[in-house]
Amino acid sequence: MMNRKKKIIIIGGGLAGLALAMKFCERNGEVTVVSYQSLKRSHSVCAQGGINAAIDAKNEGDTPEKHFYDTIKGGDFLAHQPLVRDMCYQAPAIIHLMDRMGVAFNRTGEGHLDFRRFGGTLYNRTAFAGATTGQQLVYALDEQVRRHVHDGAAKTLEWHEYLGAVLDSEGICRGAVIHDLRTDEIYALQADAVVLATGGPGQVYARSTNSVVNTGAAATTAYMQGAKYANGEFIQIHPTAIPGQDKLRLMSESARGEGGRIWVPRDANDRRDPKKIPESERYYFLEERYPLFKNLVPRDVASREIYDIVYNQNLGISGDPMVYLDLTHKSREFLDNRLGGILDIYTKFTGVDPRETPMKIFPAVHYSMGGLWTDYGPDNDGLIDHGSPRNQMTSIQGLFAAGEADYQYHGANRLGANSLLSCIYTGLMMARGIMNYTDSLEKSVEDIPSTVFDDTRAHWQNRFKDIKKMDGAENPHKLHHELGDIMLANVLIVRDNKSLEKAVHAINDIETRFLDVKCLDTHDWANPSPSFINQLYCMIHLSKIITKGALMRDEFRGSHYKPDFDMNQPKDFDPHEYIDYLEQKQYGEVSVKKFPADHLDYMKRFEANNEKWLKTTVAQYKDNQPEITYEEVNTSLVTPRPRKYD
Amino acid sequence: MAKPSKDEIHYLLLKLHSLTGLVPIGAFLVVHLCVNSLRTVGPWPYQLSIDAINNLPFLLIIEITFIYIPLLFHSVMGFYVMHHAKTNVHRYRYPRNGLYTLQRLSGAVVFVFLIYHLGTTVAPKLWEGKHHFEAAPFLIDILNGEFQTWQGILVYTIGIVSATFHFSNGLWGFCVSWGILIGENAQRNGAIVFATIGLALTVLGMATVLEFNMNPVPVEATVAR
Amino acid sequence: MTEKNITLKIKRQDTPSSSAYWQTFEVPNKPFANIISCLMEVQMSPTTVDGKTVHPVTWDSNCLEEVCGSCTMVINGRVRQACTALVDNLEKPITLEPMSKFPVVRDLQVNRERMFENLKKVKAWIEIDGSHDIGEGPIMPDQDRAKRYVMSECMTCGCCLEACPQFTLDNTFLGASTFNQVRLFNLHPTGEMRKEDRLNAVMGEGGIADCGNAQVCVEVCPKNIPLTESIADIGRQTTWQAIKNLFTK
Repeated sequence: MMNRKKKIIIIGGGLAGLALAMKFCERNGEVTVVSYQSLKRSHSVCAQGGINAAIDAKNEGDTPEKHFYDTIKGGDFLAHQPLVRDMCYQAPAIIHLMDRMGVAFNRTGEGHLDFRRFGGTLYNRTAFAGATTGQQLVYALDEQVRRHVHDGAAKTLEWHEYLGAVLDSEGICRGAVIHDLRTDEIYALQADAVVLATGGPGQVYARSTNSVVNTGAAATTAYMQGAKYANGEFIQIHPTAIPGQDKLRLMSESARGEGGRIWVPRDANDRRDPKKIPESERYYFLEERYPLFKNLVPRDVASREIYDIVYNQNLGISGDPMVYLDLTHKSREFLDNRLGGILDIYTKFTGVDPRETPMKIFPAVHYSMGGLWTDYGPDNDGLIDHGSPRNQMTSIQGLFAAGEADYQYHGANRLGANSLLSCIYTGLMMARGIMNYTDSLEKSVEDIPSTVFDDTRAHWQNRFKDIKKMDGAENPHKLHHELGDIMLANVLIVRDNKSLEKAVHAINDIETRFLDVKCLDTHDWANPSPSFINQLYCMIHLSKIITKGALMRDEFRGSHYKPDFDMNQPKDFDPHEYIDYLEQKQYGEVSVKKFPADHLDYMKRFEANNEKWLKTTVAQYKDNQPEITYEEVNTSLVTPRPRKYD
Repeated sequence: MAKPSKDEIHYLLLKLHSLTGLVPIGAFLVVHLCVNSLRTVGPWPYQLSIDAINNLPFLLIIEITFIYIPLLFHSVMGFYVMHHAKTNVHRYRYPRNGLYTLQRLSGAVVFVFLIYHLGTTVAPKLWEGKHHFEAAPFLIDILNGEFQTWQGILVYTIGIVSATFHFSNGLWGFCVSWGILIGENAQRNGAIVFATIGLALTVLGMATVLEFNMNPVPVEATVAR
Repeated sequence: MTEKNITLKIKRQDTPSSSAYWQTFEVPNKPFANIISCLMEVQMSPTTVDGKTVHPVTWDSNCLEEVCGSCTMVINGRVRQACTALVDNLEKPITLEPMSKFPVVRDLQVNRERMFENLKKVKAWIEIDGSHDIGEGPIMPDQDRAKRYVMSECMTCGCCLEACPQFTLDNTFLGASTFNQVRLFNLHPTGEMRKEDRLNAVMGEGGIADCGNAQVCVEVCPKNIPLTESIADIGRQTTWQAIKNLFTK
């Protein structure tokens, strides 16, 4: 037991990092938050629509258990169930906490929290602050952390970049190597634990809804230092984004949650002004194909349908890869109050007011369900023991991951408004476990020889020296875009093994060309070039994890859609049949008469497929390539079954 | 009350700067322009009021306490405030930003004008010891002469317009700074009201100047004398 | 789309203490191009119009959808977010300068630390007892919430300060964004409990009384925050506070 304060380094100032920082300070720990930019600017601010919690304010009979089931089903049963269950049970308390911190959540006439609908559920479960909920949540947590900084409990290192973990001779993480992005100084910091709350890897695709900093570099470095990376191939494609040159800007799911309708003209050659097209000549394809969930099917489903409409049915607006997202039937006042922020963004970037004219949107890379493999400590009630040091720990002891950087909460597809929840939940939940972890250490960080820190620091200093010497012919930014183009062309909504194999080779080419990169700037003050080259290197490796995982997973699950392996669920199939089927099987033979033959055939195939593929993909760094293995998924609470939303 | 801190003094001084602009300086400006405008009614009413003022007991002490010290304070603070800002109306061409710049400019102009105004009226009056009933004829003679030249008219026109603008725009600023006008509409409506007041005061002042110019009536002994 | 190429004149500076210089670049005009996508083009071929290869321009940006506040710069003489500055709507050639009211770090990057320090000065947070579960937050009318929401959209971008004639590199003026934060937190039922601390913090040098009501802040705010309303409201709150201090302290 140490008689000093426990100190941790948190990499990343988004929701997960800030939530943990606040909680750890409250527990009398010492926190250093390392952030690539000023706090308040992290990618979490981009989250728009809301945050889920089954508070059942509208008396619809919603419960955390239903939230749990929707999340598991939305994720095609690939998530570890006790964790998701615990998260859903904690969600109401999290919303109330954020409310107490002053988040300007929209309210009902009586002054209570208001909720709206989101994808993948039939309940009004999403609390929201206009259409900039992520921004509002980040600000509230940032304010609390700023308060702790003001009181001296927390420290921030803004404009600093994490380069790698310091591992001792036993492979335990004892600190982090930090790069000052202004002075170019590289140094090692000691800590009892290091937490990567570094967000997702959207920049691997170059153009996505993600922010500039979302390179996934920190997680990839951890992977190259030996940490496992899980479910990398599960990349969420958000159905509605605004096409753009530098970025594909998100158009929140809340637009549909508040009544937005997706349609295309029934006639591909119909070039009329959208408002002049009568109802009968509009194809509301989501509503027709999914009469139960309508426009609010989960994101993987919606993106696939839009892809189908545009590329298979050739019904994109004026032949372009776009469909209408229509809010014009709602009043201006209603829209301003509930969606103002995102509608303004659309107007600013396209010059068109979505209150008057339907928006033109198309799917875009949005979120990574996969991330660093992390552990958890279940309790006996099917929930999580919050004191367990295993919670959120990567396969490197002492190195933790939280938020989008981990993989545990969303399975094969994330439901809208669950990401903010999982970020805050992990940040808050893991604090106690880290405290207990540091207590359990036999050797304290002070007992570790200083050479361990010096060597790791020297490694990174040399690495950056070498990067600065790179004087080849390739522009790193162009190479980055080429990598993105490969990923966008081959590892997106619809996947097939031929394209994926092509992508693997193309990425290897990029890796070879990377050696011929030119470091465009060799100054030693505020020089982003060497950092970017290092990040590009990480992105190349991350793209390999994603692509290889996708290539090897021969099935269709959630966001990972391979038409060749679609089991073609019979149209009139009811998922409950599958539960009956399993039950009968348990008591002996399945009576053939009880199920239609095609259903029975489907269920058998479904069961066999789950047997083989209902597993976590685990990538480990071996000989410069990801080595893929599979691990069991904890499905102890609900039986995995076919998904259906119509 | 504990000894005020540097910050408290700073706040207090700025608030006093704002307040002195309203009372007594602004109030004095209104009274001054009104009294002078009696000239448009006729030479007699005007002269009577000058007599009345100059026969006030302890006039100099009253003037020093309620006019010259506040004026000096307001000016010094004004220059201090100006020193800490950097106008940018050339880049950000918004009406309110223009008024902000003009407020500072007009303040400086009024300051210079007042040196001239006091230097040519009050100072010789005191220097030559023209008190009580002797003051009015002395001053009116000076002014009659002043307004016969175009230079004099120009100087006074600039002085009066600057002062009424500085006052009425300052009045708006006062209402915003002290939190009397908060909402966007309230601020806009306030601006209309104060602009009207400013315009009225300007008309009053200019009418007086014109009257002096067109009708330079020499002063005779008053009834009382 | 008229021009094939866009000319960018960029004010550059290598270190905080070195002197500034101008360079001109030409980038291809693409549909829906904004200043950020143009700067990305410069990154991909950092060659000036004179054919000189230079180190790429550095700038701050992150979200690219005007919600993070990073990419503030002076474009054609006017401060704004670079991401929402669509090239089609700008006069050519386009000039890019770093903000002038904050110390330059490099090229178009500036150090806005002062803004974040000011947030600490005015205790821009709600003093909750702790993050443990003690039930629901205070009930409040949605109108009040809506008022707070607009104010809390401030992304600390610095536009209001850059455009403020009262805010300079060498004074201590807190500026519109900070006053807006004071009002935001004073409006919350729990935040109100520490109202006096916040008001006293803006009643010193550089405080609310230094505001000259030029009201450019509200004109340039990319989030349309009613900054001048916040300033006047804080003016009122501090006036009462001053009277209270005068008679009760």
